[in-house]
Amino acid sequence: MKRSTVLTEKNRGTWATVFAVIILLPVVLSLVGFVFSRGEDTPEVFLEAADSRWENCVRDAEYMRFRHMDLLKEVRSDVIRDGLKGGITLAGCGDCHHSREQFCDRCHEAASVSLDCWGCHYYLTDSEIEELEGGGE
Amino acid sequence: MDRRDFIKKGGAVVAGATGVLSLPVLNSCTAETAQAESKLAGKKWMVIDLTRCREDCTECMDACRQENNVAFHGDPRWDVHWIRRATLHPKDQSAGLEEKDVLLMCNQCDDPPCAMVCPVQATYKRDDGIVLVDHHRCIGCRYCMIACPYNARFFNWKENPDWPNKEYPRRSHGVAESCHFCAHLIDGGGRPACVEACERSGERALIFGDLLDPQSEVSRLVAGGGAKRIRADLGTQPKVYYLGL
Amino acid sequence: MDVQFAKIEGKSVSYWVTVGLLAAATVAGLVATLVMNKHGLYLSGMTNRVPWGLQISMAIFYIGLSAGSLVVSGLYGVFGKMEYKPFARIAAYLAMLFLIAGLLSIFTDQGRIDRVFTKPFTYVNPTSMFSINPALYSGHIMICVLYLWALFKEKGTLTKITSLVVVLWAIGTHTGTGAIFAFVPRELYNSALLPPSFVAAAMSSGAALMILVIVSLFRATQRHLDDELIIWMGRRLLSIFIVVTFYVLLIENAHRAYLAYSHEAGLFFLFGGVHSLMFWVGLITIGCVIPAVLLFVKKTGTSVRWTVFASVLVVVGVLFERFLIVIPGLIHPPELFPGWEVTDAVLWEGVASYSISPLEVLQTLGVIGVIGFAFVVGLKVMPLAPTEARALPAK
Repeated sequence: MKRSTVLTEKNRGTWATVFAVIILLPVVLSLVGFVFSRGEDTPEVFLEAADSRWENCVRDAEYMRFRHMDLLKEVRSDVIRDGLKGGITLAGCGDCHHSREQFCDRCHEAASVSLDCWGCHYYLTDSEIEELEGGGE
Repeated sequence: MDRRDFIKKGGAVVAGATGVLSLPVLNSCTAETAQAESKLAGKKWMVIDLTRCREDCTECMDACRQENNVAFHGDPRWDVHWIRRATLHPKDQSAGLEEKDVLLMCNQCDDPPCAMVCPVQATYKRDDGIVLVDHHRCIGCRYCMIACPYNARFFNWKENPDWPNKEYPRRSHGVAESCHFCAHLIDGGGRPACVEACERSGERALIFGDLLDPQSEVSRLVAGGGAKRIRADLGTQPKVYYLGL
Repeated sequence: MDVQFAKIEGKSVSYWVTVGLLAAATVAGLVATLVMNKHGLYLSGMTNRVPWGLQISMAIFYIGLSAGSLVVSGLYGVFGKMEYKPFARIAAYLAMLFLIAGLLSIFTDQGRIDRVFTKPFTYVNPTSMFSINPALYSGHIMICVLYLWALFKEKGTLTKITSLVVVLWAIGTHTGTGAIFAFVPRELYNSALLPPSFVAAAMSSGAALMILVIVSLFRATQRHLDDELIIWMGRRLLSIFIVVTFYVLLIENAHRAYLAYSHEAGLFFLFGGVHSLMFWVGLITIGCVIPAVLLFVKKTGTSVRWTVFASVLVVVGVLFERFLIVIPGLIHPPELFPGWEVTDAVLWEGVASYSISPLEVLQTLGVIGVIGFAFVVGLKVMPLAPTEARALPAK
């Protein structure tokens, strides 16, 4: 059997180290990030203006914080694929949470979870709200 | 030999684990479709296009574009048209036939080739017969455009520069689309934007209703005879009838 | 007869230049794909009337090439022709690479590439050929891997079984690929003869390309190659495939042009535009008639040079054929109102046109770069190529 010239008895330690570094890199970087962010608060969603049309949010805060994506997927499926209207909508969320920067982007940017929604769905950022209000006056 | 055995066994474990972990995914596929079928009642919606259509009128097209944020770039290569006007010229000049105008749109076929060929069922037919695209799922393969024999389907080649109706989402580039009888309006009890616009303009060339209801206007118009569908011979069961064609 | 396989040296300047060019092509293709994915596919030459273009044509071309490679590999695996054992590994490896190229071409052509890696696997539509085919292709690739492994390990029975399975699966895959077009109600697409003609052209192009690859490989590595092996592949294998391809194409076009309801479409295809030139000159003359004559006539058919030349012509001809499957059906307007001509709409009515854009060319080069790189580096890293290829001694 032909002996390898790349991986030999002598340099297997080096290769093992390189391999381990590459595999563990994400973990190490996460730890470093965690250490350096100590003292910063976890971003909280900001309730800007409770709207009188809604008694409370469609689900409780705990559910919304951890499982809002499941709710959105279910709503999406119900509305589009089953034609069930009149339930939960993004516009409904916007009645109380006016700015998507405060509502969505704040946590999503901190958590590094990118969103694909705003190319198609209309939800204003702080600056866009300011522009609109400025224009109205 | 030990290393080899280890790799072989490790590979087998990974393959087995992948197989086991993919079961919930497979389960969820079937669960979703089974659920969808039970929810909607079966009602057929028909639009009848009467050629009371005024020459040079573009009300329905403008209303559709406004309502549904249909992309317009000023370039016939990429412009999206959910409803459009075309002129028919008789091939046989001797027959004494005159040119006429026709409105072309998605025929909302009951046996839609587009839904049959969509690899992810992004284009599908709802239980109430409406054929529409789930833009969250569309991968932009354009097979539905290939399959449509009516050239009624379009692709968003470019980002849509306008957003006239903020209450309805627009489509980003990379997904296919076509007219869906304004499903978002009819689900709320309304009528398609083109029908409303034509009525407002006074012509009432577009009529919308339930063909299965014998009392509805569409039923009476179709029963009266002379209502044709485009290429009914293809067997796609289009739901758009034309009078005066 | 014991065939020795050995890695190629891969140390010459020309080798490294080849590797470098292929890597550069890969990067170019990647950049082009990313640019189009970000800004929109309008940067390609495709339009609402012609939604499929170069990438899909090339995809079906690559997939077709994989069939022919497998047939050559199957000469040893299925039919037990020992003199073709030297080529079995290269053929199986190339077949796998061509399938990957086909999938890559399709994937990079999607509007939402970010979704194409997850959604088609979660949401399967059994009535869609675009859903069935990736399953066929992936299965095909896996069987090719198994086949290659059996060849490396010299496992006799497993080689026979996988070889047979892979050739049959290849026919299934190619029928499926032809069905993407055939099972759609467009006048120039919906022909029941399209899947068989696809398979036939796949066999021709694949066998032709194998001849080219083998001859260039052996010349480049200066390993011994008996002329008889190439001549047999040309005269007895490729020539038959060309004749079958020609036959099916003839019937398909005659049928379409003859019947009244498809008369106009059939004649448009045969005489109605630039594509007709591509058909008569590119496919029929260059792709079928001239190579067939060259291979059948004794003087040219028994010469390796002429066989190689004929193979080049066949590959070019089948490339035209893949275009002719995709594009004319799209530029031809659908007959919505028999007896009436549709004009003046805001859409591009009538005969549309399609021109290839530079970004699409870069994408194609990128795919060729990826599989070329994998092939050339694979030859160096694995013992794919035989040390020599000799015809069996006459008894």
